[in-house]
Amino acid sequence: MLYINNMNNKTYKWYRMGIAFFVAAMMSIAVSLDNTWLALSSVVIGMIFMAVVRSKTKRIVDEREVMVRQKAAQMTYAIFAPTIGLGSLLLMLLADESNYFLEAMGIVLSYLTLFQIALFSIFLVFYNRKHGGHGEE
Amino acid sequence: MAGMAKNKLKVLRAMHEMTQEELADRLGVSRQTVIAIENNKYNPSLDLAFKMARLFKLTIEEIFTYEEDCS
Repeated sequence: MLYINNMNNKTYKWYRMGIAFFVAAMMSIAVSLDNTWLALSSVVIGMIFMAVVRSKTKRIVDEREVMVRQKAAQMTYAIFAPTIGLGSLLLMLLADESNYFLEAMGIVLSYLTLFQIALFSIFLVFYNRKHGGHGEE
Repeated sequence: MAGMAKNKLKVLRAMHEMTQEELADRLGVSRQTVIAIENNKYNPSLDLAFKMARLFKLTIEEIFTYEEDCS
């Protein structure tokens, strides 16, 4: 969670809840009236309101929260990358002439896995260099 | 062999008659972080430790003690 300084944290939460309630109410009305434009405009208005509320707040990133997020992201990567990688391999192995779409899905998933690993590696090198891990004295 | 830093933050806060919310505001962190530090669930960064030391006009060693876990 980000800590709000200028605006009271509770006030910020109330604003956010109010906006969410407004969008939800407008969406339900739009669905019942089968009106796409009303739904779209309510989402856009909600986003604008949220942007205004956020611009009025000064955010301080809490260091414990950063650590929690880092650990959560690390865990997510550690679970998600092998799962999606093995899943793609399994899909490609299961594919045959009657289930040719499985191979296509497997290929897409394997490229996604490679993309994720590539992104992770790039950021790993970037942050390692940024925080002085490139061996310069 | 991992160690854990223990602290006197709760005692110091009580001595200065501060609430967790007030201390959090002064340090620029959330109340949850103050609670986590007081309960020894989270070791603060050096930056935050210095802020605490300056706030209570003490040295870091006077607030934190490091205990090595030999198990």
